[in-house]
Amino acid sequence: MLTVNGAARLVDAPPMTSLASVLRENLALTGTKLVCGEGFCGACLVELDGEAVPACLVPVGLVEGHDVRTIEAVTPRGEPLGAVQRALKDSDAVQCGMCFPGMTISLTAMLRANPDPTADDVRDHLSGNICRCTGYARIVESALAAAAALREIRGPRDRANGAPRDQASRTPRDRASRAPRGPVS
Amino acid sequence: MSTIGSDLPRRDAEDKLRGRTRFAVDRQRHGTLHAAIRRADRAAARIVRIDVTAARSMAGVHAVVSAADAPGRYGIGVADHPLFADGVIRYHGEPLVAVAAETLAQAEAAAAAVVVQTEPLPANLTMDQSLAEGAREIHPDWARYEELVEGGTRAGNIAWEATVVRGDTAAAFARDDVVVVENCFRAGRQNQAPLEPRACTAWLEHDRLVLESSTQNPWAVRNGTARLLGMRPSDVRVIVPPVGGGFGMKFEVSIEPIAAVLARTADRPVKLVLSRPEEMRLALFRENADIWLRSAVTRDGEIVAREAVVLMDCGAYGGEQPFLTTMTAHTLGGNYRLGAVRMISRAVYTNTAPTGAFRACNGTYNTFALERHTDDVCTAIGMDREEFRRRAVLRDGDIGATGQVFEGDVLGPMLDRMRELRGIEPRRPRPGELYGRATVVGTWFIFVGPAAATVNVNPDGTATLVTAGVEIGSGSTMQAIPQLVAESLGIHPRDVVVREADTDAAGFDLGVGGGRTTVSLGAASIAACDDAKAKIAKVAADLLEAAPEDIVIGPGAISVAGVPSRSITLAQVAAHAQTTTGPISGSGSFTGRGTPSMPGCAAGHMIDAIDIPVFAVHDCELAVDPDTGQVRVLAYRVVQDVGRAINPRAIRGQIQGGVVQGLGYALHETVTFDEAGQVAQSGFETYRVPLAGDTVPVDIALFEGAPSLGPLGVKGAGEIPILNVAAAVACAVAEATGRQVDQIPLTPPWVLTLLDGTDQLRHRHITRDWRANVLTPPELLEAAAGIRPCPIPR
Amino acid sequence: MSATPTLHRPDTLAEASSLLADGQRGLIPLAGATWLMRSPLRGQPWAPGYVSLGALAELRVLDRRPGEFRFGASLSHAQLAAATAGDRDVRVLHQAAAHSANPGVRARATLGGNLCTAEFASADLTPALLSLDARVVVLDPGDPGDLAGAGGRRELPLVEHLRSRGGAGSRRLLTEVVVPRRSRLTGHARLPLRRAGDYPVAIVSVACDTDTAGIVEDIRVAVGSVEPVARRWPELEQLLVGHPLDPVHAARTARECAGAPLGRAGVDVPGWYRERVVPVLLRRAITAALAAPTTGQA
Repeated sequence: MLTVNGAARLVDAPPMTSLASVLRENLALTGTKLVCGEGFCGACLVELDGEAVPACLVPVGLVEGHDVRTIEAVTPRGEPLGAVQRALKDSDAVQCGMCFPGMTISLTAMLRANPDPTADDVRDHLSGNICRCTGYARIVESALAAAAALREIRGPRDRANGAPRDQASRTPRDRASRAPRGPVS
Repeated sequence: MSTIGSDLPRRDAEDKLRGRTRFAVDRQRHGTLHAAIRRADRAAARIVRIDVTAARSMAGVHAVVSAADAPGRYGIGVADHPLFADGVIRYHGEPLVAVAAETLAQAEAAAAAVVVQTEPLPANLTMDQSLAEGAREIHPDWARYEELVEGGTRAGNIAWEATVVRGDTAAAFARDDVVVVENCFRAGRQNQAPLEPRACTAWLEHDRLVLESSTQNPWAVRNGTARLLGMRPSDVRVIVPPVGGGFGMKFEVSIEPIAAVLARTADRPVKLVLSRPEEMRLALFRENADIWLRSAVTRDGEIVAREAVVLMDCGAYGGEQPFLTTMTAHTLGGNYRLGAVRMISRAVYTNTAPTGAFRACNGTYNTFALERHTDDVCTAIGMDREEFRRRAVLRDGDIGATGQVFEGDVLGPMLDRMRELRGIEPRRPRPGELYGRATVVGTWFIFVGPAAATVNVNPDGTATLVTAGVEIGSGSTMQAIPQLVAESLGIHPRDVVVREADTDAAGFDLGVGGGRTTVSLGAASIAACDDAKAKIAKVAADLLEAAPEDIVIGPGAISVAGVPSRSITLAQVAAHAQTTTGPISGSGSFTGRGTPSMPGCAAGHMIDAIDIPVFAVHDCELAVDPDTGQVRVLAYRVVQDVGRAINPRAIRGQIQGGVVQGLGYALHETVTFDEAGQVAQSGFETYRVPLAGDTVPVDIALFEGAPSLGPLGVKGAGEIPILNVAAAVACAVAEATGRQVDQIPLTPPWVLTLLDGTDQLRHRHITRDWRANVLTPPELLEAAAGIRPCPIPR
Repeated sequence: MSATPTLHRPDTLAEASSLLADGQRGLIPLAGATWLMRSPLRGQPWAPGYVSLGALAELRVLDRRPGEFRFGASLSHAQLAAATAGDRDVRVLHQAAAHSANPGVRARATLGGNLCTAEFASADLTPALLSLDARVVVLDPGDPGDLAGAGGRRELPLVEHLRSRGGAGSRRLLTEVVVPRRSRLTGHARLPLRRAGDYPVAIVSVACDTDTAGIVEDIRVAVGSVEPVARRWPELEQLLVGHPLDPVHAARTARECAGAPLGRAGVDVPGWYRERVVPVLLRRAITAALAAPTTGQA
């Protein structure tokens, strides 16, 4: 029994099957892409207890009792795009599309930990995200634009006035997940 | 209301960002079996026995197929390629048997259980081995293969040969007022490495085969699969979801017939997805090449003669390479005004994985060779490199290598534009680093070819565009083409529905790639709109009580000329037609005009002269770390000849992406073979593509106005961005290190080797006389070109 | 070849040890799984089963005492980097943990896994910890030579662990890493071929005691990824003692020094290239060590 995107899902798979494979084949959550199988390309990044990890390297047998969020939950159907996605869309960064779920998860995690990154910080953080189409420039620009947008929102604005819900405005439980925790496995 | 020239966003971005887009690799059908391929584990062998009995009886297995199930050969220039190895193994990884089973693990287990017995044969792993005296023929039956395109010269291990013979080079080299410069170059392979691997699901519907494939070329897949399965082509239907990158790898039929044979045998849908190691080892790589080049140049910078031999490694089967031999003339023979020319391009068989097309094909290494050679020429005649290029680049009325006449002054003004873009201040390297910079020029072409389109005008005022165009990421079908259609019909691009490619619905198209999508499919789409507009005008005339020739179809309204108040909407016209004359649709097609070349000059070429040349000027500043050999790009600038920019922002995205792929080709991406003939780089750990930290934002100027027969003067922009990059980097590194740069990629160990001092590259397997490098007797080639042969070769 | 390996998630160290001790079952320890999940890609068969160490409290310690650090083996690289951030005395370890692989892998790969994967030559933490004179606490389940008795843990120098840890099928459980705290200058330099993201072709970690005049009293130079197993370079260390700690002098000394690690061949680079860049990395590591602020936190 796994907790995926807030729901309990029963999965019947050998325990050393990768989480990436289970998400795609057993749960039809194909937003997470399986590209390299080695943790080098970032296309399979998911949030595991709030941390961005390569799902291809996580045995599904270790996931029970932990919380998995995939790209499908980062921006559920009907909800507006998160700040990172909005910036990527506005800058016309998207080309073939295979890397973008992983890019979104990666950059969202980065901005949680470092809300005011430099371009070099962004490039360093993307050492685990391969894009073959775009040449990265717009992705880096979008990360900086999203950071600026999020800092705007987190600024002295009264949340009661209905500041838009996005990656920044998370519940206290989510904030706690950013502190160093015990290892998952 | 026109959106031409505007940065219209792409319609598929949001779904891709949300992970909702379902690529071929994501699609699932009920009851689908999974496939695995058993492959050869040596480079060359005779197959003694293949026993599938054990495999067939294993759990979950529904089909086991091999050569007997899909006999025959396919190819592009020559039909030399069997789907499964047929009696003989020609490369490590060649498919022997395929299995379909309930689960992937079962399919893989069964494939592993196939018994294979072989007798090794001596393998030719390199081109010099294949061309050596007495070398074993990789295709002993080459003379009996069906030629799919006429005019090819081939024999033994030479899969195809293309030659250009124009003017008297012997006399030119013999002049006493010329300096002769000679170089050898070598380039390694490059893997397209799209993130989505090749993937195909095949199933039967009423005795017809349906293939859902990640491909750039649905018609090639349709025709190739039908040929191999002995089916009528129209009994094969190919549908194409959004493609997760192609870059040329998916431009030909590849794994689809295997999925098809399995589906037909198992009578169940079968999904075949290549694993990452398979994609890394068996990509249809950009070929490795060996080049010999020499020129005779006056001290004023006139190139009176240029001779070159280019050896292109096509691997075990010809594939695209016979076609690609054509491109040497237009690239290595491009950029500059030439007196006399000899260009020989030979596609050579080796016992390695077959190569194919990757963005700008052999243009990338030909441009590297040409521009490095040009810099050496400048040194030899004592002329500034930019000065030389200004004098020598092609101008209006100049004759190209194959004798075509170029139109317009394009490269000169582009060099001026680059000077503006570059500014005055060079970047500074860090202390201890070696600084280098280069400005290089490149010539490519838009591969035009036939395309067809249909436009259906819908009763709600929208239009549906039906083509065989595939969206591989460049955005042509998501932005530029809808913009063209919308402009033509007076509606907004968001009101143009683009139907996913389906060979049942769409007319023939030569495939997405080669920068041709916007040009060919764009032109076909506009032709289809023109056809529809004639019908719209008739119906509107009826409704507005006017003559059809007085109807004006403008932005947002269809009116009577001179009486704008008498107008209706497209929706009203379409709705009215629906119930009276019938739904309105238009169809159109497009093909190149066939620019003439000089008669007798080019032999073995599939494109004698280029309909739409396209040019690029690149400038690169970099710093070399002499301690580690690492190269750091400081700045990169591009001036690209786009004709007319339909969507400037999309073009800039293509340029940034293409330049970065080029940096990978020039500096990082390495493909090597072990002694067994298998590619050593099996994943992204060892095959190093550029990451964000390895790149810089590219400074871009889009150069408009050069003549083009594309719609609205457009030239395709997607392919050329990669063309000049290896040249720019290699020339800048040569400048920084003061060394001969004659091999790419410039990996850190190789740069250190250069700095330490190493011998200049010499190709002992290429005789330094063009006459010794052609199959056709040289006198015959010269006679065909109207040249009296020079009796004393130099 | 085991097609469907089992996975066990014991709650206690004793349970984990007894699972591993049973030689018949062929189970091996599983830490972050980042190496083992790639077995099929390496063409290696799965073990019959794996014992996850993730729930074991003893492996999650994070103990900063005045004289030493005790790091639990299950700490991820990311956690180790966070735990050592700003602590000048273990800067080399912080740099190693903060820059290895990529952010996603750092969230999963563990300290223990890095030290126990004998086939992985490019482990960043190994040379860093060698330079800090680290010791490890290990348990060898079912080993008849285990003097402490079945289930007993013992502490040994890291160098000793590297010699005795065994290969791919090893059942050794590494529970903690002990790093003696000394006030010294430390630095880590690694060389990926790209700017980041690849396994480094060579790694140099340095830890140095200098007197008030900046003369080297004691120095550790550990080299990783050059040979199959990281090691110290004692000949170089001896030559550097008594001289000012100077990056350029050290690099020059290294170029002529005996006992240099021998470069292994690889798909990434030939052996000579690894050897060639070691002096460069030594220079960078010492430069990094000297760049640390002299007071308190870095």
